[in-house]
Amino acid sequence: MWESLQHAGWVTTLATTGWLYALVSVVHYFTLFFFVGTIVLLDLRIIGIVYRNQPISLLAKQLRPCTWVGFGFAVVSGFLLFSTEAGDYVAVTPFRVKMLAILLAVVSALAVQWNVPKWDRAPVIPTTAKLLALVSIMLWLGAILAGTEIAALTGLG
Amino acid sequence: MHDALLACCKWLENTPWGTTVRNSAWMYPVIQSIHFAGLSLWLGTTVTVDLRLMGVGERRQTAAELSDRLFAWNWIGFFVVVLGGFLLFSADATTYMSNPAFRMKLVILIPLALFWHLVVQKKTRTWAQTEETPAIGKWAGLIEFLLWIAVVTAAVEFLITNAVTRS
Repeated sequence: MWESLQHAGWVTTLATTGWLYALVSVVHYFTLFFFVGTIVLLDLRIIGIVYRNQPISLLAKQLRPCTWVGFGFAVVSGFLLFSTEAGDYVAVTPFRVKMLAILLAVVSALAVQWNVPKWDRAPVIPTTAKLLALVSIMLWLGAILAGTEIAALTGLG
Repeated sequence: MHDALLACCKWLENTPWGTTVRNSAWMYPVIQSIHFAGLSLWLGTTVTVDLRLMGVGERRQTAAELSDRLFAWNWIGFFVVVLGGFLLFSADATTYMSNPAFRMKLVILIPLALFWHLVVQKKTRTWAQTEETPAIGKWAGLIEFLLWIAVVTAAVEFLITNAVTRS
């Protein structure tokens, strides 16, 4: 399945057209840094390191559209880059680790989003909230690390 | 490459940190991730303010208030990015400086984008005190957004051309 994706017409065009591949790479890098940054900021607020005088929900509302639009671009561009060497990527461990980390990180981001209204109403932010926020940060940083390891260990991308 | 510049690069490569990062198989991606983590904070804070200046996002806070709130993490991100970048650079300074895309990034684009960032950050306080930012603020935000995209483009160009020449 992945091999046939790799050999699709539009994929080979992307893989062999230098400026197009570079463009998709730029979109992927720029948007991933941006959206991960917005998630980390919200997580730091939940942990209580920043902006304590502001309700969490205000910061969350400010950042949420940025986060999900950025995520959307990162996923689409990531899929396009993946498709150029799909068969090779799925076979290597760092790529699988990265995908797993992203999956778990998205689940944690949704859990945070779902709980923010509740945490806002509480007199004190519960410890479980802070733990979830910390795990969220670690998962996203882990995904970035796995991403860099793909190139370092396998030469792909 | 200019002799003095070449000598500086070689000196950096031979420092204890330059040598360690270059010779360690696992350290390079870790340092690269630190560079990227810092960049996430930097771009997360910077671009959020740029988008708010351009009118995107929740209106309850003005761009000036948002910029003030994100200020500390903006510069913490900057510190981490520069630290990671410096370590990566030290490991392979001559290779980096021989690459035109990297030279463009370090020597031209980053100073330009950084200068503009400082202008925007300072001026946002006066420009963006209302819910709707005046036109000058919107343009300033857009220019900054484009400048940082240019920096990332140069970095990606470097990664692609460097990988090609290495293999």
